[in-house]
This record gives sequence, structure tokens and C-alpha cells, in this order.
Amino acid sequence: MARRYDSRTTIFSPEGRLYQIEYAMEAISHAGIVIGVLSKDGVVLAAEKKVTGKLLDMSGAKGQSYGGSGEKIFLLNSNVIGGVAGITADANSLINYARQAAQRHLYMYNEDIPVELLAQRLCDLKQGYTQYGGLRPFGVSLLYAGYDPHYQFQLYHSDPSGNYSGWKATCIGANNGTATSLLKQDYKEDISVADAIELVLKVMSKTMDSTTLGSEKRAYYLALRFVFRKRGAAQIADRETTVEFATLTLDAEKKPKAKIYNPAEIDALLHKHGLAKKDEEGSVAAPIPSDQTV
Amino acid sequence: MDISFALTGKGYVIVAADTTAARSIVKMKVDEDKIKVLSPHLLMAYSGEPGDTVQFAEYIERNIRLYHIRNTYALRPPSAASWIRRSLADSLRSRRPYAVNLLVGGYDTSTHTPHLYWIDYLGTMSEVPFAAHGYGAYFALSLLDRYHDPEASVEEGLATLRRCLDEVAKRLVVTPEKYKVKIVDKDGVREVEI
Amino acid sequence: MNSFLTRYSSTTPEADIRKAKELYGEDDDVSEMIWGSAGGFGNLAKGVPTFKVPAVPDPTSFLRMHTDDHADPSCRIKIKHGTTTLAFRYQGGVIVAVDSRATAGSYVASGTVKKVIEINPYLLGTMAGGAADCQYWETYLGMQCRLHELRNRERISVAAASKYLSNLVYSYKGMGLSMGTMICGWDKTGPAIFYVDSDGTRLRGDLFSVGSGSTFAYGVLDQGYRWDLTDEEAQELGRRSIYAAGHRDAFSGNTVNLYHVKQDGWQFIGNYDISELHYNGPGNVPGAPGGGYGYDVRVAGRSSANAPEDQ
Repeated sequence: MARRYDSRTTIFSPEGRLYQIEYAMEAISHAGIVIGVLSKDGVVLAAEKKVTGKLLDMSGAKGQSYGGSGEKIFLLNSNVIGGVAGITADANSLINYARQAAQRHLYMYNEDIPVELLAQRLCDLKQGYTQYGGLRPFGVSLLYAGYDPHYQFQLYHSDPSGNYSGWKATCIGANNGTATSLLKQDYKEDISVADAIELVLKVMSKTMDSTTLGSEKRAYYLALRFVFRKRGAAQIADRETTVEFATLTLDAEKKPKAKIYNPAEIDALLHKHGLAKKDEEGSVAAPIPSDQTV
Repeated sequence: MDISFALTGKGYVIVAADTTAARSIVKMKVDEDKIKVLSPHLLMAYSGEPGDTVQFAEYIERNIRLYHIRNTYALRPPSAASWIRRSLADSLRSRRPYAVNLLVGGYDTSTHTPHLYWIDYLGTMSEVPFAAHGYGAYFALSLLDRYHDPEASVEEGLATLRRCLDEVAKRLVVTPEKYKVKIVDKDGVREVEI
Repeated sequence: MNSFLTRYSSTTPEADIRKAKELYGEDDDVSEMIWGSAGGFGNLAKGVPTFKVPAVPDPTSFLRMHTDDHADPSCRIKIKHGTTTLAFRYQGGVIVAVDSRATAGSYVASGTVKKVIEINPYLLGTMAGGAADCQYWETYLGMQCRLHELRNRERISVAAASKYLSNLVYSYKGMGLSMGTMICGWDKTGPAIFYVDSDGTRLRGDLFSVGSGSTFAYGVLDQGYRWDLTDEEAQELGRRSIYAAGHRDAFSGNTVNLYHVKQDGWQFIGNYDISELHYNGPGNVPGAPGGGYGYDVRVAGRSSANAPEDQ
């Protein structure tokens, strides 16, 4: 049945569904997980980056650029961090759009764009792709972790249909059901940002897909790789996973401070929480003081 | 010939504008309100080219309102003033620019600070503790340099405004007989008689 | 926002539609149809109509070149100027009074001009400035007011009608329109007057006078005006004020046309010759004191000589 109604995004099926949107959502549910937790003094975002093969050359991904550490977490504006799950190419286009929208707002209003407004801007775009003929929707869900003076710290989620909603803690991508129930279990009102970091890492470690230590020995890549062990599961070594991590807090002047962790900082963080698995050769990079910002 | 003043004090902004609408040598109207309430905590006094003033002020008023409706919260004074300035600056580069001078006064409820912006028809904007447009500026600015107090109570602020109006009445050749005075503070906008 | 900004700006809904049109190569005539009921963009019906402008680089100076009789007495088009019009609101409705002289330069082009434009049975517009501009646009306003009635099953308010006119003339600002008009009428809110001019100014008020003779009219009008005037007193005040301007202002005169707007619409009261008013007054008219309005007539036989009683 679906066949007849999914060739165009703009056509409803007789049951009143838009299949292309549902397929887009499906694509996202296979993507690396992104978890966001809102606390009273900050927002935390963590993402699982799937490395598709051992031969992939990661030396170009320095992970220390201004915009973010790589594929999953990006700085959208000085007050908003975005986490994406879905088709990376689509995500890049949306990230670019979001950054431009934020700059347009700055141009017109001389202020950081309010977080919800930025989410709305992207959702307006995404919605358009569910309605105008001949277009494919974005296969991307986003989490927005941000701060503005109207509503302080905020966490939003948007999906390919153009719906968005605000959350205390949420996640998108593979295993999001498991992660959500873990978050539900452990989330406390009035959680502090330090506890939020711990919560995010804990949920991450319990939900991530596969986890083995790679055999490559490139120093940089090893530093980047923090491997979680899937509880009780057999280790199948065809995929490796790394983590991206970011927080949004306020600095001494009460201005939003976005911090996207670099590999060494993530390493230190994981060590601190006892989550990093030592490399067989014990070559995990030593913790680096995490005062660097990006 | 339009005259407008504004000054900040402890937690408020006072905005005053004369109420005359003149055409050549004739006063067509003596009770025209030239201060628009743009949002619950934002005021704008406007003066300049007849026709342009009201058209521009209504354009601003409705767009600020639209922003408020769309986002449930209003633009904060610094952002609203920036947007208004941007509108004027864009208009200046159009075929027929608006020739309007503005005083934008507002109270930022998220930082509990009053803000006052002086904007002219060229799109110059400056945040100031007190401001004036028209011939009144020639008398009032020095006076306010001397008497303005950023921590003045509303009563003291109104007394300082009274000094400005009296000085204009005393020294300016053609002087407006009536002013409309509005105050914006944490409780919103209200009009006062002076 | 003014129509030029709208036309050339890139951020309005209209601009979006325009871009969509370019994208899909839409024909102008059918384009709005595809959006259904304005496609969620709200009512995009044009707020103001458009009007062809001379196809020269600078229409304003083109017009001025051919119409400025001060700079060039032999210019091709002499625009009719010089007028006194007045309107005021009082307890019994609105009084509208105007003169009837049209001058082109120093030449009295007509003495029987109708300067009150009967927009519809409840709306009057007065005419000062360019006669053609006023006549054309106020007639046009009449059409729009009628369309408003048909669309909304009720009469347009005076406020809305005047706003329509002011937005209209504002879109031609700086292009040579010359109008100073009062839109007078009676709507749900009672009697109302709006002053609208080609600068784009629009003012609500109780009492206005417009034109070269307005200062003279104000002199009489302001002194005699009260809210609780009777109908007779009010009509007499309007008549007398126009007479005063017709007498003192070289560009106003000939006759007075007097209208009274009440709840059930306007009523034409009469046409009075200003010379006749000067020497003999309006005749047997309610409210008139009898006798001429002219100073000499009024003070005939009175003297300021102050000779001592005993001489």
C-alpha cells in the first residue's frame, strides 16, 4: 500500500500518513545517539559517533575547530549548541542554515537569537520540505542546548516533520527508548550541571551499541576513542564508537559559555567517571586539564 | 517644530513629547499623541516629516506586536531599538526614506534595567541617560547635564523634566503649550499629567 | 509601510510571493489563485491600488516642470489652487462649508466649483489643493467605500475611509500630489472628521480649516465655536467663517456651499453668494441675525469719535 503514496512527500496515504516523513524518522533511529540533559545551571549534550570502518582516515578530524568536534555536535551560535542524528549530509545543510539564521537575528536585533526562535527557524524550513512538491524531507533530528535571557537554559528537540518540543532530558537516535527510560529513572529536578554530566555519561555508557577497542595505534585516534562496553554483550569488533561531548553554562559575567570538549578533555572526563576503558597497550592519553574552550 | 524629551531614573524612563500637529503656520491639532506604546514595557516618541512619522511609527508598532504574538514574549528594549534603527537605516538606502527622529525608552524586565535610545532619521543610535529632539534639545541637554540624576525617584525625574519644559517655555520663540508624558517602569507604561 | 519599500524589499510576504512567482514563472493575472485563500499568508489583497506614473526617470521633476506656475507663468499645465474649506463637529453633527472659487495662477478659472465631494450619503470630502487630485482620488475613495459595503454588509467607518485615503496618497508621496482634505461623516461612533493631506498626515479632530483662506476662517470659527451650538447657530458659523475667508483671501470667494451631516446622512443646506452675504446677509435663514456680514454694513452708523458730552 505504501508504495503508492510514498513517492511524493506531499501526498497523504489513505490512512492519513506521510510515509516519507516516517521513513526519515526511521533513518534517524539508526543513527548514533545524542543525549541532552537540562539542569538549573547548564545544559549537557553527548553524542555517539559511529566510525564506519577501520580504514577511515580520521587524521583530518582534529576535533578542535571552533564549530565543534566533528560530526554530531556543533556550535550553532555563541548561546546554542546543536546535536544531530540522522543523515550527516542533510545535517550539514541544516547546521549551516541555523548558523545563518542566528547571524541574521544578530544583524536585525543585535542580540543572540533566543533558543526557541532558532528551533522555530529550522522547523519552518523542515516543515516546508513536507509540503512543497518534489522535495525530500531532511533526515535529521536535532537537539538544541541553549541559553537566552527570556527562559534561561533550554533544551529542544526537532524532528523531520518540523515538530519541536522542549525537554528536561531527552535523546535521539539508536536505542533512544532505552536511553529515555534510563533518563526518566535517574533525572532529578534541580539537578546540577555536574550531576547532569554524570547522568549523561552513565546513560551513554549503558546504551551505546558496540564497543570494542580498535587495533590501530595511531596516537590521535586512540585519544579520541573512548570505548564503552555494552553490558554483557559479546564484543564484535567491526565497529568502533567514539563520544562527542559539550556543555553550555554561564561564565563569570553571566554570559553563555559553550564548551565543546576536545578528545583529550573527553578522555579526562571519562577517566574521572571511571568509564574509559584502558587500551590493551595502556596507551590511552593522559588526562588533560579541561580548561580549554572551543 | 516637534519637541521631545526623555530621561532615565532609578528603574524607569520618562518620555515626553509636545502634542501639536502643525501645517505651515497653522496648528491643525493641539492634542496629538506622538508617543507610541510598542509593547508592555516599551515607548517610542516620534517626530519629523509629516506623514512619515505616523506611517513609520505604525509600521514599527505592528511589527513589534507581531514579534510579541509570534514568540509570546516581547523584544527586549536593546533588541527592539536595534531593530528599529535597522529599519530606519534600511529605509535611508531606499528610494524614499522615512525622515523620522525617535526616542525609544523601555524597561528590561529580565535585567531590571531601564534603557533609553536616541535615534535620528539617518539611523544613528546611541544609548543615553537622557535625550531630546527638536529645538528643545538646544536648551534641555545642558540643563540635563547639570541636573540629571540616574538614581532620581519618579518625582525627582518629573521635576527635572518640568525644568526642561519651563526652560523651553521661557526661551524658545514658538513654544508648544501642552506635552504628553509617559513613564515606563517594572509595572509597565502609564501616562502622567504634568 | 510605503509601497515602494514593499515593492523593492526582500523580506515581506509579498516579496516571498514575488520570488515564488519568478521561480514558477507565474502569470501575474492568475498567480494569486494558486495560493488558495492566500495560502496562509493572510490577506494579501493590495492595501492600496497602483497608478501609472510618467515613464521618465524622475516623474516628480517632470511634473513640476510642467505645472509650476510660480517659476514659469507660461507652463503648460496650470494647477488650480487657492481655497477655503472648513468642517467642524458639534452636538448636532458635522458642518461642512467651502467656497467655490478656482484660481489658476492669478486667473479666476471658475466661480462655481463644487469643493464638497459627495462620497456617499454618509460621507463628504472637501477639496483643497489640486482640484483634479482631490476629485479623482475622492471619487475613487467613493468606489472603495461602496465595495467595502458590499463586502462587509455595513458602511465603512469614517476612520477607515480616511485611513484608506491617507495610505493611498502616502504611496504617492513626493510625486507631486497636492491635496488637503477633510473626510467628514457619521458612523457607528457618531459624527467624525479626519484631516488628510498629500504629505500623508491624517488627524482626527473636532474642527479643521484647510486652504489659503484657512487662517481667516479660523479667526471667525474658533471664536464662535462651542460643542453645544444649535443647528442654526452652527450653520451660521460655517457660513460666516467662509464668508470671512472669501472676503479677505484673494484666492477664495464667489459663493459658499454649506452641508450638514446628521445621523441619517448629509444634507445640502444652501449656496450663498459672498457679495450678497457681505451686503445683505444670507436672507431669511434660521440662525442668521439679518443684515450683511460686511464690516461696513455691520458697523454702519457707529463711530469711535469720543467728543465730550457738553459739546
